[in-house]
Amino acid sequence: MADVVTTIDEPRIRPEWLLGGAVTLLGAIIIIVVTLVIGAGEDEPAVVPADATELTAGTCAEDLRQPHWVPDAVRRAVAECPADISAGIGRTTAEDHLGTWITYTLPGADNVETFRGGPGLAWPEEEVRSGAYHPASAITFVAYPGSAELSDELSGDNVTVETQDLKESGQDVRVTRVDNNGFGPVRLEWTDDAGSYVLLGTIGRTPTGNAGPTVAELIRIADSVAAEDE
Amino acid sequence: MPTTRTWLQAGGGTVAAALIVAAVVQAMNSSATWVSNDPVGECGKTSGGEVVAAQNVLSAATGLKPVDGSWDSESEVATKAFQAYNGLPVNGCVDTSTWVTMRALAISVCDPEYSCQGPDHRIRYAAPGGSREAYFAENDCDWGSYVQPGLARSPVASNKVIALSRDAVTEIECGG
Repeated sequence: MADVVTTIDEPRIRPEWLLGGAVTLLGAIIIIVVTLVIGAGEDEPAVVPADATELTAGTCAEDLRQPHWVPDAVRRAVAECPADISAGIGRTTAEDHLGTWITYTLPGADNVETFRGGPGLAWPEEEVRSGAYHPASAITFVAYPGSAELSDELSGDNVTVETQDLKESGQDVRVTRVDNNGFGPVRLEWTDDAGSYVLLGTIGRTPTGNAGPTVAELIRIADSVAAEDE
Repeated sequence: MPTTRTWLQAGGGTVAAALIVAAVVQAMNSSATWVSNDPVGECGKTSGGEVVAAQNVLSAATGLKPVDGSWDSESEVATKAFQAYNGLPVNGCVDTSTWVTMRALAISVCDPEYSCQGPDHRIRYAAPGGSREAYFAENDCDWGSYVQPGLARSPVASNKVIALSRDAVTEIECGG
């Protein structure tokens, strides 16, 4: 019986496979690195508060009757309480009659303050005329707990005052608008069983569009205040 | 023929009615003092209490400094920026429309039915790193400007209520 000799070739790694594998690995590494770098430059995903009162949580205003809705883009509110206000005016009046202020700052390019230094000749005339130099846009809410009155009604050729019904809460709100060709301050004032309130915003004119809230947004904010009771 | 008593009653009634009318007129003037001021700027007054009031608002709205009751080119540029942003004709003159717009920004510090002592209205602008504020006082006879330290420059004194409708920079005095 003849011996059978079986020769088993050792598997050989062909050079082109090595090259292809290295290229694939390098490509994968590049993709991972680029993805990580781009991802690191992005902001944290914005967390939209479910209720606007969360914006004042932990402040002296957290128990105040206040808006439950603000425009979705609003991420920050500054609360100032009677003690803060009193200190700002030299403690000349009793704190129990002072209002509590909440200022909601609005994001977006048109809402950012554009002053660079104080007003003067360094501000080009054409840019000034176009509205390029403007303050930051904000919505101011002031509550006077226990109060039952509104402030004196404003008047003027460019002032319109009307009473509107708030759909959700059923409250009447006095809307005072200084209408300068569609721009200018808008004040909403109303009372309920807990106090009286002022909501102020300015529809600002900028070179690229409007700054500030819309009248509809202000009305919705006012309407949301009474939602606390629901 | 009316008796002396009748004359006295009629006279007393007339005096009482006159006092009531005067009080009503005074109250109406007090409320209107801000919105019907003289023009301020190259179109009108360039010094005095109304200039202080306008500069006080502009300090909050645009960062204008100092508040000294003397109109200058910085005040005019600040006015133009304020007017442009608020949709007003841009002329650098604090005219009636501009006064009204400024007035609408002032929010009562106290309960509307309560009479605060001292500054009782506030204009607040959110600003990077904090806020810019201007205070005013609605007195029985006039509005006044309350300028904060760091903004006021002589002859305007900080933490004093400067009468709005006086030609000179003077502290507010009612009944004087």
